[in-house]
Amino acid sequence: MSSVTKQARAVAINPTRACAPMGAMLAAFGVHGAITINHGSQGCATYPRHQMARHFREPIEVATTSLTEKTTVYGGKSNLLAALKNIWERFQPTMIMVCSTCLSETIGDDIPAIIDEFLDKNPEVDIPIISVKTPSYVGTHTTGFDNFLKEVALRLPARRAKNDAGNGKVNLVPGWVNPGDVRELKAMLREMGVDTIWLTDYEETLDGGYYEPRPHLPRGGTSVAELRDSSRSLATIALQRYIGGEAAKVYQQRHSVPSHILPMPIGLANTDKLLDTLSQVTGKPIPAAVQVDRARLLDALVDTHMFTTGLRVALYGDPDLLEGLTRLVAEMGMQPAFVLTAADNGPWGNTMLALAEELGVECEILMKADLHELHKRIKANPVDLLLGHSKGKFISDAEDIPLIRVGFPVEDRFGYHRRAIVGYNGATYLVDEITNAVFARRATAVVSNTLLEVGVEGPTDVPMGCGCGGG
Amino acid sequence: MQFKCNQNLPERAVHIALKGPDGGCKRGDGSGCFIASNVASTPGDMTERGCTYAGCRGVVGGPVKDAIQLTHGPIGCAFFSWGYRPHLADSDFHMKYTFVSDMNESNIVFGGEKKLLQCIVEASQEFPDAKAVFIYNTCATALIGDDGRDVAKQAEELIGKPVVFFECEGFKGVSQSQGHHVGNETIFRQLVGSVEPEGDFSRTINIVGDYNIKNDMRTFEPLFEAMGVRILTRFTGNVSVEDLKIMHKASLNVVHCQRSATYIADMMKDKYGTPYINVTLWGIKHMSDALRQTAAFFGLEAEAERVIEAELAKIMPQINYYRQRLTGKKVFIYQGGPRTWHWIELLRELGMETMFAATTFGHDDDYRKIFDQIADGALVVDNPNVPEIEEILSVHKPDLFISGNKEKYVAYKLGVPFVNGHTYDTGPYAGFSGMVTFARDIDKALHAPIWKLLRSHARSAPLRPGA
Repeated sequence: MSSVTKQARAVAINPTRACAPMGAMLAAFGVHGAITINHGSQGCATYPRHQMARHFREPIEVATTSLTEKTTVYGGKSNLLAALKNIWERFQPTMIMVCSTCLSETIGDDIPAIIDEFLDKNPEVDIPIISVKTPSYVGTHTTGFDNFLKEVALRLPARRAKNDAGNGKVNLVPGWVNPGDVRELKAMLREMGVDTIWLTDYEETLDGGYYEPRPHLPRGGTSVAELRDSSRSLATIALQRYIGGEAAKVYQQRHSVPSHILPMPIGLANTDKLLDTLSQVTGKPIPAAVQVDRARLLDALVDTHMFTTGLRVALYGDPDLLEGLTRLVAEMGMQPAFVLTAADNGPWGNTMLALAEELGVECEILMKADLHELHKRIKANPVDLLLGHSKGKFISDAEDIPLIRVGFPVEDRFGYHRRAIVGYNGATYLVDEITNAVFARRATAVVSNTLLEVGVEGPTDVPMGCGCGGG
Repeated sequence: MQFKCNQNLPERAVHIALKGPDGGCKRGDGSGCFIASNVASTPGDMTERGCTYAGCRGVVGGPVKDAIQLTHGPIGCAFFSWGYRPHLADSDFHMKYTFVSDMNESNIVFGGEKKLLQCIVEASQEFPDAKAVFIYNTCATALIGDDGRDVAKQAEELIGKPVVFFECEGFKGVSQSQGHHVGNETIFRQLVGSVEPEGDFSRTINIVGDYNIKNDMRTFEPLFEAMGVRILTRFTGNVSVEDLKIMHKASLNVVHCQRSATYIADMMKDKYGTPYINVTLWGIKHMSDALRQTAAFFGLEAEAERVIEAELAKIMPQINYYRQRLTGKKVFIYQGGPRTWHWIELLRELGMETMFAATTFGHDDDYRKIFDQIADGALVVDNPNVPEIEEILSVHKPDLFISGNKEKYVAYKLGVPFVNGHTYDTGPYAGFSGMVTFARDIDKALHAPIWKLLRSHARSAPLRPGA
């Protein structure tokens, strides 16, 4: 029987989550020409910038209101007003996003009121300025991303005229993914001939090219005009329930744009769901090229199943990512022995239990948990593989278990932000990557195909307790 | 000297200065006053500065290898400060683990003291071999008024080992520099001198203000030892809690980072009468001086000369090779504080001149040291922000930019060769042998074929469809 456990310990040791402001900052990079002002201590901007630079290997430029001891006594209003003015005058951004922090929330700054005061005093400012609540003591980094999307959905779309014919586009909310994922999704939608408004799109802003001269604003990102127009779309499709799902509902409630909230499209069945939904919404058939990609994924699953079936894996990261990955590893015949997240999310736990039952796998679902807890579980009940971000490398090193890097941050390898794990091609990539990790582990001295296949006949030292694997 | 990007930010002018031909300081506001520093950043100017917590947890406390590094606050501060700064030691507990009291909304409303106490006890049960618990306070827990000092005292009785509480809430100062001060003061007050070991300490020194970035210490420790001097305590690279407790026994403090660690040298001088010398452990002249000064204190001058001669014999052929490849290059150094002035002489020894110098959190004394050494006509900027850095890189086009990881990708997008001076590209860079590594990395950065390829092949950005 699968189960949901909440970690009992008060102290978090090696957390698998960061804080909310970073999520809002990341999402804002998906709006062309937008600039973030982080209203708090300088570290609240500099630390996430540093973290994102290590993952994306791109300039990460974010402003801070530089609150100091004095402002904690008198409030941060004058700093925020000055920052808004300086950003407006110096950069001419297309949008400003102000996110809060522990500090500005605890001293009680009323950010929306300060923004209103700024707009009153500066009538020439004709860009949207939105405020996103992101104290670190609520939720995780995903909360900031989700709150940003909700705020965009509430504030930016224009009111829809009566009898408006619509723009024929689909609003797509990919959630917390990599630029490579957005690129893969774009390729599918292009092939299908679906016009899309992305909420949001950092495919190029956070994985940009080298140009001479350097463009004034980074290429890419959804324009504010597109966001204004998003109330006229055919539908909103959110690809992560907990990052963007609420925003999709806002479109439905406010603008009668139907919302579809799907599991993250990782693996065969989840990607099928996305394409079926797209097809249903737009009336367009699933294009041949995408069907070929799908068949290639099935072929890869067939080719690799003898190496992957029955392996025990541990997954950790954000809820939506884990839901998608769990289905993929089950499709590969693997046993998701531990599925661990930092979020304290009851509905997700129930979804995961139902998913485990549907897939016929047995897993322990750990919520509100950290990587130290995962390490202890793995010591007691070993696994063959780890799937998650770079912070799991300490477990991987200590236990000599291969780590398949997915999620955020991947800071100890190069170029993972360019890779896609969504869609059929993303799944095929993961199937290859996982299988190769098994090969590398079990047959390090491979010199020929024969030797290789002798070396990887499957897990030998771990009991196979898997409903799908033959144990 | 004016920046184009500062048209609407006149307040930045006092932080920008040229070194005049007479050696004086010509400030951006036209006055003859010295460059302004260590004051609050202009809100929204896109400063690169961090917070007090970062200076304390990240720089001073974080390298202590056998302490539990526990952040008292919400999750983010602990996540971001975990495991990326390569302050290495001969063990890696401090790199692998981060601990946090993980304050949630109800803790913020009702107070976090109970939870903190529980966290300390749990953490020390999970890791019984740790020798102390270091607690770092954050913005949120400081604002709600948690009495961390009191919790630390209670916890100390419960777990029977030092619990050190750092009051380093992020908003406390104008930059991370304040965090260094808190770190020094707290370690001094709570640990230094708490045990009195027996033994002969007459020929011992502390290396103060080196954090063993990428094992910098391996380059110079053997040299001090070869002169007959024993290193007692390293503050704080590759240091144990026990080492910190006995550091007051050393005969001499050798202070390397004079921004982040002079505080403790001063406090030890006041309380224990321990003398200190200021040194730079990068570059030929400075490293030699450091050994000579230390030797002079102990009467080991002949030994010092022997060590220096042997080391120079080893490195000079390589240094000479790199010098002829690097001569004439103009450099922009932007570091946290002292490295900017530490490296002016080193780069000169490699034939290069620093024409642009900036620090994130330098104080007046740091800028005096820059002006003392830097070439006439050089541009000096205090707490530069992103547009200013971009303007220096794109308008003044230095041959080389030495800075940190965040700035690296800005330089690369502008096609400027870059060396990571914060955490090093391949490191270590200190001492004599490290200088060869430094020179090799600079050579690689300057002469990699990519720059030729960019000049001949880069194109302008294509227009967005529909734009």
